[in-house]
Amino acid sequence: MSNQVGIDVGGTYTDAVFIHDGHIQYTAKVPTRSENIVETLVDAFDTLKIEDETSINQITVSTTLVTNAILQDRLPPVELLLFSGNGMKADAFPWPVSYRELSGEIDFRGREIEPPDQREWERLQTFALSEEPAHVAIVGKFSHRNSLHEEQLANYLRQRNPSLRLALGHEWGKANFYRRSLTTYLNLGVSDLYNQFALQLQTAITARNIKAPIAILKADGGVLPLAKIRPIDSIYSGPAASVLAALTQAETTASSIIVDIGGTTTDMGLVLSGVPLLSSKGAQIGPFSTLVRTLAVRSIPVGGDSVIRATDQGFRLESYRLGPAYCLGGNVPTPTDAMRYLGLISYGNEQLAEEGLASLLPSDRRTPQFFYELATAVIDTMVERIAEAVDSLKREWQEEPAYKVWEVLHPHETQAFHTLVSGGGARGITAALGKRLRTPVQLGNFPEVSNALGSAMARPTFDCTLQLDTYMKRYRVEETGEQGQWTGSLRPYLEVEKFLDGLVQQQATRYEIEIQDVEKEPFDFFPIVKGYKTVGQIVRGAAHQRPGVIGRVHV
Amino acid sequence: MKQTGILFFPAFDWSLGDSHPEREERLLYTQEQLFEEGILDLPQIKQFSPRVASLHEGLRAQALFPTPGSYADTLDAHLIAAGSAILLGEARVRGDIANGFVLARPPGHHSGATVWGNRGFCTLNNEAILVNHLRALFGIKKIAIVDTDVHHGDGTQDIFYHDPNVLFISLHQDGRTLYPGTGFINEKGGPNAWDQTLNIPLPPGTGDEGYHYVLENWVLPRLLDFAPDLIINSAGQDNHFTDPLASMNITAGGYGRITELLQPDLAVLEGGYSIEGALPYVNLAILLALAGEDYHHVHEPQKLDRPVLTLATLKPYIQGLKKQHQTIRPNFTLQNKAFFPKGNWVYIPHNVYYDTDGFQETRQDYIRQCGHCAGTVYIESQRSPSLQKSILVRIPFQACPECEQAGYDLWDHLLHHSEDTTSALLQNQLNDKLSVWQRKEGLTQF
Repeated sequence: MSNQVGIDVGGTYTDAVFIHDGHIQYTAKVPTRSENIVETLVDAFDTLKIEDETSINQITVSTTLVTNAILQDRLPPVELLLFSGNGMKADAFPWPVSYRELSGEIDFRGREIEPPDQREWERLQTFALSEEPAHVAIVGKFSHRNSLHEEQLANYLRQRNPSLRLALGHEWGKANFYRRSLTTYLNLGVSDLYNQFALQLQTAITARNIKAPIAILKADGGVLPLAKIRPIDSIYSGPAASVLAALTQAETTASSIIVDIGGTTTDMGLVLSGVPLLSSKGAQIGPFSTLVRTLAVRSIPVGGDSVIRATDQGFRLESYRLGPAYCLGGNVPTPTDAMRYLGLISYGNEQLAEEGLASLLPSDRRTPQFFYELATAVIDTMVERIAEAVDSLKREWQEEPAYKVWEVLHPHETQAFHTLVSGGGARGITAALGKRLRTPVQLGNFPEVSNALGSAMARPTFDCTLQLDTYMKRYRVEETGEQGQWTGSLRPYLEVEKFLDGLVQQQATRYEIEIQDVEKEPFDFFPIVKGYKTVGQIVRGAAHQRPGVIGRVHV
Repeated sequence: MKQTGILFFPAFDWSLGDSHPEREERLLYTQEQLFEEGILDLPQIKQFSPRVASLHEGLRAQALFPTPGSYADTLDAHLIAAGSAILLGEARVRGDIANGFVLARPPGHHSGATVWGNRGFCTLNNEAILVNHLRALFGIKKIAIVDTDVHHGDGTQDIFYHDPNVLFISLHQDGRTLYPGTGFINEKGGPNAWDQTLNIPLPPGTGDEGYHYVLENWVLPRLLDFAPDLIINSAGQDNHFTDPLASMNITAGGYGRITELLQPDLAVLEGGYSIEGALPYVNLAILLALAGEDYHHVHEPQKLDRPVLTLATLKPYIQGLKKQHQTIRPNFTLQNKAFFPKGNWVYIPHNVYYDTDGFQETRQDYIRQCGHCAGTVYIESQRSPSLQKSILVRIPFQACPECEQAGYDLWDHLLHHSEDTTSALLQNQLNDKLSVWQRKEGLTQF
């Protein structure tokens, strides 16, 4: 017996589902009160009217809390201190926040090239270190190879002001100094807000005597316990949820194009042999480039309620919404009116749909033939925009850079895709989309609550990427930022396999994740040569639990 | 905004041997540096993914002896490096990018018109394959290749030695002090392409100042004079003062300036084996310079603390070299074989040493003198000590009717009198047709 609750906080509405053994038992929809997301969540939960709340196994939440705080610029001030070293100048990038550069340099092997200058640190007094609680993010170039300078400065600052909230960049252990700086900055900036949210939510759920763990959906489609997730990882969980919702309805090994059509926007994702495609770059949120692992998704400002304007050449599909479709009592014609006129959907007033279309045509052309042509052209335009975004997603997948001979000789095989469409306007474009994408198109079930459904059924993701330098005797884990001493041999083979397995176990325990099917990448071994002698190895390896769902959901 | 293209192909699963300079580790730290800098996130930089070159594309520039098939999968990495150069070159010619950097291994500039294996770490000549591809498919007429690797680009020189439409300039550490021991001032091109090869041997110890002086005062004026449609830089990084195989004193910043001065349409990585001390920084400086970003902040950790040849010392040497260069006149030997089509054939015998596997190639090159085109080329090549002989017949791009006919006649004769020949390639650049003949299997079109 398994009982899952999924709640998705959207811009306008918050949806919830209760799933019992792969069947949707209850659904709920409440208006989102963005000023109080905890109350909204609790409201949605209560509206589900679950009889036996103690039987719930897990509650999963997809929330826009962090996304909105960043996009609406509601972060407290964070002082960003950088060990930017030599190389490309920091100002080659557009920094959305201010920063201070300090001396001190580490290289790609984690060697100290230049120590920091304590005198510079003393001068840091001038800024508001006394402000309570002040937030300081410290990030060094190559700190993912050696966190020495970050730790030194952190210790120094802590001694001067124990109440400082400090965040160190090396905890985001992936290469890219610029993104690491901004990610560290943002994660620290949203942490108070998130912690408060987590506390309130946990309190409210506990008050209902519910013992089920609460999990938060991440941008990569995985879930983590409320208290374990790094807040910034919760951005953009909405599009991830819609991809997961599609997974609950597709064959486990199918390759699918996921299209979720809303009123104003359409989200798209790609699933390859049952696994959602991850973006090779981190998420971009507003002006911030981050290291946040995210599914490869596209979001375009086209939806069932997009405004259509008459032009000299015919019409233009605008990228905004002005209320509902004409046939549903709105003031402007929209693609929904075109769908209604053609009889592709059954809701909305047919007469009004025709009126809406007529308003786009000169009076001498207001005849059924022209209505038909116009309605068809509107749908084709909408489908074309969607198809272009789908093509760009496919290109991202096909044009992934390759760094090995083997990868170039074994390119991605072309997959037989099918398309899964959900959302309000889905039915209206099914035929046209299938024709344009040249794939079979299937209509998703439960379009009203698909994101809540995707959240409810999400499973934990897990990544553990090891970088080991046996000559320098150091190892690093990309995802946790862990850095440590290597005591094993110079040319490890089976030893490194076991070492990675151990790291995986530790990490799973730390994040309270149950590991189901971990997939290991083959190790890369780079002999390190000095004076024509092999003196050690750099080893790279990784283990993953890919994004996925815990089961299928049936109608 | 026109972008700078980057094709980064470090071939992390390919090496010429565990402790060979050309090993998996070579671009590992470059990757660390580029990724950590986040340079691929710059809006003016666009990353491309590699592709495999076809044998047809390879054979347009080089004859693979005894047969292309004899290389089996040892060519894989080389075909990807060559294909990568082609891919980025096409993007440049189509106008998708303003310039580009093919940061790929393995290198290619020691690989010549005829190939019997790997030499100087090279099997296929990436730039030459790219150049002939652009000429064959995009009708590009004039291309300049400037080779700034510390070693003489002898392979590239060999491929274009008779081609008046390709200007080849190589700056390198003097061949008397370094592999491959060629690239002297008197190597100025074949009879139909005289003065289209320029070799500038530099004394060991030359630094940034001296190198830039030579570029500004000799190379750039020559380029300006030639007015190429495209400039390709064979960007070897072994002039760096930390390079273990050579003795020059260029810095990472100096490489940035070289790129800035040359303004190449495409830079293609060649050698460079100071994989920690130089490559991460030199590659970064080159990419920044191509993208029009400030490279002056790029500093290698190691300081240059050995004596650098002063400009005052270098200047008179360069001026003397230049004077000597002007006085050298063509001096060719004519020698016709009985079956040669009519015309005057210049005979250039020479040997090529394959250091990787340790054998010698004996070459007898014959070039039909021609006032209208690059001239038909006929090359007999032997890999010693075996007596196997393979032959390359080249009908050049824009061949005149007489030279085209001469090529067909030679090929025809070869097919009917092949007693002492193992295999042959008809490299018909004019019509982009490549025929391989071999004793056992006969003719194959590539």
